Amino acid sequence: MPPTEASALGAAKTVTKATVGERLMLALRSADASAGPLRWLALAVLALAAIFPLIGGPFYTRLGIETLLLGSVALSVDILLGHAGLLSLGQAAYFGLAAYISALMYLHVTQSFWLVLLAVMVAVGVFSFLLGAVAIRAKGVYFALITFGAAEILSKIAHNTRAIGGSDGLLGIPVPRIPLLPGVVLDLHSNLVFYYAVLAALVLIYLATRRVLATAFGSVLRAIRDNADRVPYLGYNPFWYKLAAYVLAAQIAAFGGLIYPLLRGFVAPNLFGFEVSTQAVVMSLVGGVGTLIGPLAGSAIITFLDSLVGSYTDRHLMVLGAIFIVFVMFLPDGLCGLVRRAFIAFSGEVHTGAPQKTRQTQNAPRREVSP
Amino acid sequence: MLDRSSLLCFAASGALALALASGSQAADAIKVGVVTPLSGAYAPIGKQVRWGAELAVKEINAAGGVKGRPFELLFEDEEANPPVAVRKSEKLIQQDKVDLITGTVNSGSTLAVGQLAERNDRILVTTVSYAPTITGAQCSPNVFRVNANAFMQSNALTAWLAKNIAGKRYFFIGPDYEMGRSTIGAFQDDIKRLGGTDVGATFPPLGAKDFTQYIGAIRAARPDVIMTATAGNDTVRLLTQLKEYGILSDKLTLAGAAGAVTQENIGAMGGAGDGFLSSAGYSTDIDTPANKTFVAAFKKEHQSEPDLFGADTYGLFYLLKQAIEQAGGTETAKLRAAMEDATWQTPQGTKKMRKGDHQAIVDMVVVKVKGNDFQTVGKVAGEEAVGPDKCDRF
Amino acid sequence: MEDLLPYLHFVVLPQVIDALIIGVALALVALGLTMIFGLLDVINLAHGDLYMLGGFAAFTLLGWGLGYWSALVLVPILIGIVGWALEELGIRPLLPRADRAVVTLLLTFGVSLILRDLAQVIWGTETRAVAASLSGVVSAAGVIVPSYRLFVFAFAVATIVGTWWLVYRTQIGAVLRATAVDPAMVASFGIPIRWVYGFTFVYGCGLAGLAGVLLSPIYAVFPTMGHDFLVMAFAVVIVGGMGSIIGAVVAALLLAQVQGLASLWIPPVWAETLVYGVMLLVLVVRPAGLFNRLGAA
Repeated sequence: MPPTEASALGAAKTVTKATVGERLMLALRSADASAGPLRWLALAVLALAAIFPLIGGPFYTRLGIETLLLGSVALSVDILLGHAGLLSLGQAAYFGLAAYISALMYLHVTQSFWLVLLAVMVAVGVFSFLLGAVAIRAKGVYFALITFGAAEILSKIAHNTRAIGGSDGLLGIPVPRIPLLPGVVLDLHSNLVFYYAVLAALVLIYLATRRVLATAFGSVLRAIRDNADRVPYLGYNPFWYKLAAYVLAAQIAAFGGLIYPLLRGFVAPNLFGFEVSTQAVVMSLVGGVGTLIGPLAGSAIITFLDSLVGSYTDRHLMVLGAIFIVFVMFLPDGLCGLVRRAFIAFSGEVHTGAPQKTRQTQNAPRREVSP
Repeated sequence: MLDRSSLLCFAASGALALALASGSQAADAIKVGVVTPLSGAYAPIGKQVRWGAELAVKEINAAGGVKGRPFELLFEDEEANPPVAVRKSEKLIQQDKVDLITGTVNSGSTLAVGQLAERNDRILVTTVSYAPTITGAQCSPNVFRVNANAFMQSNALTAWLAKNIAGKRYFFIGPDYEMGRSTIGAFQDDIKRLGGTDVGATFPPLGAKDFTQYIGAIRAARPDVIMTATAGNDTVRLLTQLKEYGILSDKLTLAGAAGAVTQENIGAMGGAGDGFLSSAGYSTDIDTPANKTFVAAFKKEHQSEPDLFGADTYGLFYLLKQAIEQAGGTETAKLRAAMEDATWQTPQGTKKMRKGDHQAIVDMVVVKVKGNDFQTVGKVAGEEAVGPDKCDRF
Repeated sequence: MEDLLPYLHFVVLPQVIDALIIGVALALVALGLTMIFGLLDVINLAHGDLYMLGGFAAFTLLGWGLGYWSALVLVPILIGIVGWALEELGIRPLLPRADRAVVTLLLTFGVSLILRDLAQVIWGTETRAVAASLSGVVSAAGVIVPSYRLFVFAFAVATIVGTWWLVYRTQIGAVLRATAVDPAMVASFGIPIRWVYGFTFVYGCGLAGLAGVLLSPIYAVFPTMGHDFLVMAFAVVIVGGMGSIIGAVVAALLLAQVQGLASLWIPPVWAETLVYGVMLLVLVVRPAGLFNRLGAA
């Protein structure tokens, strides 16, 4: 049914006349209301992640670390898409930026992890603030294109600047030993130590993000996601909230980038690439947008699938594209959302979140689907 | 994959037959990981690499393998993307327990996988990457190269050009990235050394589609020779557009890197590439019985002629066979020692490994494009072309 | 000073002319993109791959013995059909969703991956040539332009003018523009909106296919060629104003000139970055683009 015929036929009847798509989006909306099922899911995922390296062996443990790092990029996509209504196609910009700064600092400046961490946080913070300030002013989908463009520019700059390795990238980043507390040193030469350290850090990041989004800040953000035009009437300036979310998301993506060179020992311009950004979006979608645990689960699923598919056929791009399309069209709230709905249906509870929320495309008021 | 299982069948039956015949133990397969771009822009090269490997392994296994042990190839698609290449290589090394790795194409991947190989005590052999730094400033005790590098190509080509082309005005076009710039740099240095005049150089972005903006500069420079380091589609576009604008003529000589015009893009030139000169370690018309057999076998197996990537990869496996037999196994230190001093036979002739930097010394041929084919017009001996050993990391 | 005139004549002028031709080709590609977004709110990331399919279709048709001119007519129709299939199966079900712009962007991205791989499976990885039926150069006042490029220029301009005429001077165009402004109103006149959307999408895809066949003799054909224009096309659409035909043309000409002239003075690689910078600038100063949408006055 063409989008606006629905609105033309009667505003008040929107709930009953809502299409499958809209009802799905409604179910998706209550990210904090249905904490129950998601919490169990998160615990299950965490348990799986915790025992994984014990059954995996060195390669899979290291692959698991890389999955966690990419998962942080996916998480950053989810914060923006699922909670602020912003689709960013350029989170790889921060992944790559963090990776390069991390690599450069380790190669030329210092061996101190904490100093590197500080440098990355500051650099990414400044860059995301500036870019975000420009990008957020643009409406709706323009934001996606600007973020995409920014990642492309950074990729080109990295590719063409010989001083930072050019198209070959930088090699030789050492595996560090990180002093945590006096007397306690994280020796990342051990795959298990590396894995659990990254897992612990990511769990902390996840919990912190969850907490932040459960506050009033998160509520305003979700209000902006659902109906940006109304929010100013409530006394909030959407711009600063979106910008804050963007800067936060950038830091989380940067975490992945910070650790990557420590794991793989090199950086290359591909880390800024479209593939990284879009993989993060795919992971988020497959896992479940808005669920926060979804992208992390999605990261594991996609990485595993990619590896599996690659062993059977060279046509893995086609398979990935097909999976992507299936999820976009039929499973918009991803696997975690699916699990959550099943859980809700099974337990007989009714979670509707707030009534009659609609997502508004931010281009022009006349595009509104329902009031 | 179908081919993997049929290879396994071959390998299994070959090993079994040998075991029954000689009474020796049926040894396990020698696993070689081939990490090469099977999709994306570099897929044509990966395809040749794969074909070369498969043909060599088929032949070797059918003839009894390496002292009874068959080769087993494990392919992974690296998409010419170093992070992916490293991930796949790590899988091959740690999970599939390959004995060594080959197949990387672009220099970024080769360098990154080379570092991984070093950290995991395995050997990486590249049969395609021609960035000099791989056996130069960024050399590694675990990385070997059996193909001619850009330096060698330039040496051979410019020597031939200086001798055979009357005009001395040279214009250079290279894609603006590490490989393009260093290849053009090598060309420029050599031409200057040989008495030519550098009348201009320009660096379009990699993947540029329109070269018309450089044509004005080319025309103004009035060169006798245009040397290019473009590859694949870039070369097709450059040359067709030069032809479009009437720049090409009998008085202008086209020359460039070996990767500029290959089997994969020669068909698309529409005559624009006629007369293009390059120097490579291989050409299909090298007149030795070994090469004739090889080309025929390759055509029969894959319905296409081999190019330098296919030929060099094919030749690698004969080096490996020889080295593994000499080392008595695939233990890295012994294998390295055996490979470092190796001299082995390939379709294009004898290759010798240089111990100091793990660069193979390859006899170069200068080839000229004629229609859809390559014709050898000159030869430069390997020792002459190879250049100094610039590796001091080991 | 005496160097300036020859410089302008032999370096700058040819550059301007070349960029003009490239700009018009770019406008052709961007036109389809902007019409689809202007009317349907759909960002078609597979647009570049439809352009690629156009090139391959031309290659295949010529391989079957058809002449170049027949291919020029047939290919846009063929690609239009592909576009129609995409619209029916993929886009239409997603249109009712409130987040349609985001979701269709993601969908077309998945389609793009599939098309690219599919092309490699069907046609292989080699680069292919399409021979044009025109060769030779035209020379005037010391400036040389290949005849085929002049043809491309003329044909593209004709197509653009034709499209403009279609949208602004015909009944169909009136319906199109009205639907962009207020679909509900148009629906209430009894006009089937779904056909309007379908037609627009098919037309946009047909334009991409046309660009593919038109440019294939110059740029050769290979599976990843969709990337050629896609990024620049999006920059054009953003700068010009999503949905504006005039905007697409002006922006395409402008950006092509910026890139072309900039490459004379800075390394060409950075010229592309400059174009991005211009895009960002426009987004800051005038987020809606230089011109207004399809329907607006």
